[in-house]
Amino acid sequence: MDKLLFGVLLTVIWWMLHALQLDEERAMGMLYEAKRAVNRAAHAAAQQVDRDKLEMGILSVDPERARETAALYLRVNLRLDDDFRPLPHSPLREPPTVRVLDIINEDTVFPYTYDNPEYDCRVTLHRPGVVLVVRVPFPRLFGVLGPVVWDVKGVAELVHD
Amino acid sequence: MKQLLVFVLFASLFCWLAFSPVYKHVLLIRQALLRQEVDYLLEIGASGTYGYIDERMVAESRERLSRHGFQPAQLEYVIGSTSGEPADDPAAPLPRGVGLLLEIRYPYERLMDIDRLIGLTPPGPEARISASGMKMSEYVP
Repeated sequence: MDKLLFGVLLTVIWWMLHALQLDEERAMGMLYEAKRAVNRAAHAAAQQVDRDKLEMGILSVDPERARETAALYLRVNLRLDDDFRPLPHSPLREPPTVRVLDIINEDTVFPYTYDNPEYDCRVTLHRPGVVLVVRVPFPRLFGVLGPVVWDVKGVAELVHD
Repeated sequence: MKQLLVFVLFASLFCWLAFSPVYKHVLLIRQALLRQEVDYLLEIGASGTYGYIDERMVAESRERLSRHGFQPAQLEYVIGSTSGEPADDPAAPLPRGVGLLLEIRYPYERLMDIDRLIGLTPPGPEARISASGMKMSEYVP
């Protein structure tokens, strides 16, 4: 009887360890995938030059188009639908949310130090740019790992000449 | 005798417990390798020098992945762009601002078949693990 109990316990612990290992490995992959998606979205958003202002020689990011572009790149890279809900092949199960999308434009003095204590985001920009913070909940397969939610940050500057 | 009986009864469960983590691990690593490859190809392809992902790059990528145990012929590459133009033509690179899309797919190759031992149905032969991404092209003519 004690051998049977030992066997069952061993099996349970063995499988729990593997479940934990699997989920942690997946989480590492997922975090990097989210980070790349945010980086690509921030970079693409920061390149949306305001053409009207460019004619007057002012380099500035068009906020409207920057927002649209950031949403598009996030959606495609994380495989979400128009309302940010995950599609069947998405690596996520719950929709991510854009927490911060700040556009730093020519109305500030560069170099400009952006500081957002809420998300512990501090960065110095030398050109107009975009700061993007997206909250990504990790889809756990097993309950062994506690709930994981990341605030993935990405910053990009307008690149020219 | 009793112990032998218990072993025979639970043999499939023991086999699954002992070996399925290895298969799951291979699957995870393959997924990670595909992600890394997509990342690399996008980084190169969307850079200012290229603006496309052509057959030569795909062939080199197949070669790289085959070193990690992938069957090169079974890798599927889907290359596209947000503007709808073909993104694999070196003569017509995507201009700056257009998104370069890439997806790499690979079959499961019976990695999940061990789950039959505990009564789970593995994904069918048409199911694929995949990694994808989109990056803005930086090519300026």
